Amino acid sequence: MDQEQRFLGVLTSSPFRIAIVYSIVFALGAVALLGAVYFAVSRVIDGSTDNLIEAEVQGLREQVLVLSRSDFIALIEQRSQDQDVRGAVYLMVDPQLRPVAGNVPTWPDIGADQGKWIQFKVAVPYGDQTRVHEVRAQRFPLPGGYRMLVGHDVQERQDVKNVMMRGLVAAVVLTMMLGLGGGIWMGRRILAHAGAISAVATQIMRGDLSQRLPVRDAEDELNTLAHEINGMLDKIEQLTLGMRTVLDSAAHDLRTPLNRLQSTAEAAMAQLDAASPERRVLERVSTEVDRMRGTLDALLRIALAETGTVAREDVDLSELVASIVELYAPVTEELGGCLQSGVATGAHIQGSRQLLAQALANLLDNAIKFTPAGGHIRVSLRNDPGGPEVIVEDDGPGIPDDKRELVLGRRVRLDEARKVPGSGLGLSLVAAVTKLHGARLVLSDAGPGLRVALKFSLA
Amino acid sequence: MHILIVEDDQVARDYLAKALREIGHTVDVAPDGLEGLHLASSIALDLAIVDRMLPKLDGLALVQSLRATGRKFPVLILSALGDVDDRITGLRAGGDDYLTKPYHMSELMARVDALARRGELGGAESATRLKLADLELDRMTRRVMRGGKKIELTAREFQLLEFLMRHSGQVVTRTMLLEGVWDYHFDPQTNVIDVHISRLRQAIDKDFDKPLLHTVRGAGYSLSEEE
Repeated sequence: MDQEQRFLGVLTSSPFRIAIVYSIVFALGAVALLGAVYFAVSRVIDGSTDNLIEAEVQGLREQVLVLSRSDFIALIEQRSQDQDVRGAVYLMVDPQLRPVAGNVPTWPDIGADQGKWIQFKVAVPYGDQTRVHEVRAQRFPLPGGYRMLVGHDVQERQDVKNVMMRGLVAAVVLTMMLGLGGGIWMGRRILAHAGAISAVATQIMRGDLSQRLPVRDAEDELNTLAHEINGMLDKIEQLTLGMRTVLDSAAHDLRTPLNRLQSTAEAAMAQLDAASPERRVLERVSTEVDRMRGTLDALLRIALAETGTVAREDVDLSELVASIVELYAPVTEELGGCLQSGVATGAHIQGSRQLLAQALANLLDNAIKFTPAGGHIRVSLRNDPGGPEVIVEDDGPGIPDDKRELVLGRRVRLDEARKVPGSGLGLSLVAAVTKLHGARLVLSDAGPGLRVALKFSLA
Repeated sequence: MHILIVEDDQVARDYLAKALREIGHTVDVAPDGLEGLHLASSIALDLAIVDRMLPKLDGLALVQSLRATGRKFPVLILSALGDVDDRITGLRAGGDDYLTKPYHMSELMARVDALARRGELGGAESATRLKLADLELDRMTRRVMRGGKKIELTAREFQLLEFLMRHSGQVVTRTMLLEGVWDYHFDPQTNVIDVHISRLRQAIDKDFDKPLLHTVRGAGYSLSEEE
């Protein structure tokens, strides 16, 4: 299957297609070139033999008028034996078509209506065996009902033509085969390089910004492109690291004074009587520190998710969803509600388990907060072939159509939500975590209630 | 116990040292990483609390060099950074626990106790049978008995009880439970842990005169024989 796919990949690669187009063009070129040569050579050979025969016929027509029959026969015999004129064919027959003189055994059985030129085959002794040769000739009558045939062996011409035709076919086949082979070779080479690049690109998209595209020694377009993309990645990594540094120092500069505040408040509280009003004030301070910490944690996690620099691991989404459901089920029941779940097994993704868990917990916190007592919450995990989908539905008041986009923004709390405690960052974190995992977050109407779907893709 | 605090923030350091001394620990303090490393290498320590970002020598580098020189006492890392990945790098560097600022002193104390106990117990942590008063838990057969009566628990309740029993007599905070039993590192807005605890309490304490699972106000829970 894999091999078959790789082969199909080579066949559809651009170098292979280009190679095929070029080999067709070269094959057509070879046909045109050899065809032209063939045509010219044939014309030259044909023209020269025809002229030779014409001249011989003309000469014999004149000789027959001046020579006696026996002298003429002697002349024909002499010419037939003449080794200087290679391939010359003579035949003189009597009115009964019996041969009188010449080097062809029989008068060819060709009707007179065939025109001036005739072509026929003659068996010629060739060493131990005989070969059938093609002969081109003219016939003309002699006085006394005798007939004369003057021609020329054109087998050589035929041989040349055959050789050229075979050469033509071989040239076309060879060109096509070279083209095909070259195309497959180049296709595989490019595919191997492109495959390496796309494997690295996938890792980079998963958040490993330290990866770089492979670069070869050769100076081709793919390498130039890889070089430029690597330069771009350097820049992105630098910027992301810069963001991470800013984030870390912001975290440090906010957490340190908060910690001091907390320590000071706790130290002071330890000196005070449990019922004293001063202690109650300090308890309020401590509670506010907790709240600020909660907001800070959420903001930092959102920012962290947005830099995309969170380490990824294999996350068993089925286990995670089941465990979050198990964590929240008792509290839902305690509040008179009901938490149902349908979790498909075996769903795995690459990501941050902690951030995914927090996103799911935020969705359940929200569902519990906004669903009236006795409400129903349903968590499902579908393991679709395209990627798993986590759905959290409740039968609470839901979010109006026109405000669904709005609530994903930072610190947005709808009027209805002001009655319940919260930082307004819950859904922003869900949105940031969803984005970090390359997933899609879709809010819709559960009729009644809110339906939140996180659609992951395996690509 | 002899505890070393390596922390550059003076307010936090002084309060921490004072609180630990008040409950009877011997405390040494260091304001930077180099002095911290010097002290940790020259005195016999039971535990170190190390801030992650320190002048002169970074907290993680300090822990790494301690581990490289064979110092095995538990280390609690305090961090003012963002979390998620930082916790993992902290633990990988050789830290035994990780706490993000700002923290409550009760949370820190509970974790110090847990780490100190871990150091004392050594290999006893892997014991198959845990026992507290008439409550018994067998990790192999996954059976829980109290007063000779079998107690039915869900898988998660079993894990929860196992965690509490391994820390019996100590205060265990909600975050410690969420980390130790569920392996989650965030604060849920809903009191999910409390409800799990109250279910476990129903199972192990309801039919018996003497309750074992106690709520420690403002801190967490404790499984112990004493009230």
